[in-house]
Amino acid sequence: MGLPLFRAHEDPGPSFVHFADAAGLSGPAAFGGDAPHATTVIAVRYVGGVVMVGDRQATGNYIASRDVRKIEAADRFTAIAISGSAARGIEFIRMAQLSFEHYEKMTDAALTLEGKANYLSPIVQRNNLSTPLVVLPLLAGWDRGHRVGRIFEYDGAGGCYERQDFATIGSGSPFAESALRLGFRSDLDRSAALELGALALYEAGDNDPSTGGPDFVRGIFPMMVIVDESGFYELPVDEAASHFRTIAERRTASGGVAGGTLR
Amino acid sequence: MSNFFYVAPEQMIKDRAEFAQKGIARGRSILAAIYDRGVVMVAENTSASLNKISEIYDRIAFAGVGRYNEFDRLREAGIRWADGTGYTYSREDVDARALANYYAQHVGDMFSEGPKPLEVEILVAQLGNQFRETKLYRVAYEGTISDEPNFAVLGGDAETIKARFAAVEETPATLATTLHHAVDALAGTDRTIPVSDLEVAILEDRGNRRTFTRLSDAQVSELLSG
Repeated sequence: MGLPLFRAHEDPGPSFVHFADAAGLSGPAAFGGDAPHATTVIAVRYVGGVVMVGDRQATGNYIASRDVRKIEAADRFTAIAISGSAARGIEFIRMAQLSFEHYEKMTDAALTLEGKANYLSPIVQRNNLSTPLVVLPLLAGWDRGHRVGRIFEYDGAGGCYERQDFATIGSGSPFAESALRLGFRSDLDRSAALELGALALYEAGDNDPSTGGPDFVRGIFPMMVIVDESGFYELPVDEAASHFRTIAERRTASGGVAGGTLR
Repeated sequence: MSNFFYVAPEQMIKDRAEFAQKGIARGRSILAAIYDRGVVMVAENTSASLNKISEIYDRIAFAGVGRYNEFDRLREAGIRWADGTGYTYSREDVDARALANYYAQHVGDMFSEGPKPLEVEILVAQLGNQFRETKLYRVAYEGTISDEPNFAVLGGDAETIKARFAAVEETPATLATTLHHAVDALAGTDRTIPVSDLEVAILEDRGNRRTFTRLSDAQVSELLSG
């Protein structure tokens, strides 16, 4: 690639997607046969930020991978998660990370969280309406201007919706959502939000064949992420493991039954 | 019908060089130097928002002197080139030398074929790692590119500033010492530059992928007073 110079009226501005189109970097989305897809990812708001929990399994006709990272830091204060086609999803995360950083370098100012959420809409729309490899992202982060954690979810056509409580994406959503609906309170603190998120993911992993629960044999556990005023933080494996071990031990003791309480 | 008069190439180049030099000499200078842990870039800039120094990529920074609209367009092209290259290949494939060469080609083309030469000088700085060395590439208005060993001065009175800095800074020192020397060299003996008129940025490994950091007035004051 040569030096990408544009005349003022043709300049793509600080948007990396527009630049990639103008420079011919973004090829047409391809269609393949058996694409691995996946997932349950959960985002829960709590008083000082947001918590995200995501499983690690990619599933085609069989389990394609057991240690996929479906949640990534889009930038220091934003987490992005994907469900649907793994190939398109990973590309989607890359495009989001690059776009936010590109904007920041071009303009010397960071996008607002709402700006980032809106920016992703047409990318989702373009992917989902032009290929059968559907991707649905989930964006959660710390809004530095309003000093609050916020969650944005998307529909298949790229519509962006802010959620005040929690959001789930992926095939395990119904099960995770049931647990969240019963357990969510608006005054959750961080540890309660982590516990609820882990429980909801455990439920999804228990019922949905495309969602990987905790894997005690291989020592692979769902990712647990916090975004608060100090930024994106991923819980170390030991800590994530202990959340799931506690749930598993309780369930083992009660013979696999939740027993009427949310635990 | 218009008439075309013959102009000897020597004369044309001389005229164009004079034109570009005049434009560049009007602005304030920038000094970039390698210190023991990274690269520091110091510009005299009364504007707090129209930057002369900017981040290009994880380990690459840009500095420009001369006409703001001209070097800012090159800055934008550099960010696009770097992000585009990193997206197409990998982040580690983004190399400052390749970017400096593109700048040199474009600036050189504009010098010899453009409607007027660009009145800019560009610096591309790269922080080294296990794959690449720490480098300072300077691109002059006529498209010559030079690989400056320990420090580089762009703009106005470059030779004088260069001599002043070379006299005090021998081997790469600490950030505070190098910044001190840089500000003294830019100011000269008969004046002091207020901290609010300094734009300072560094490339240094501080545990993050992105190594570019702007230093605030408070941070600069603290380093200069230490």
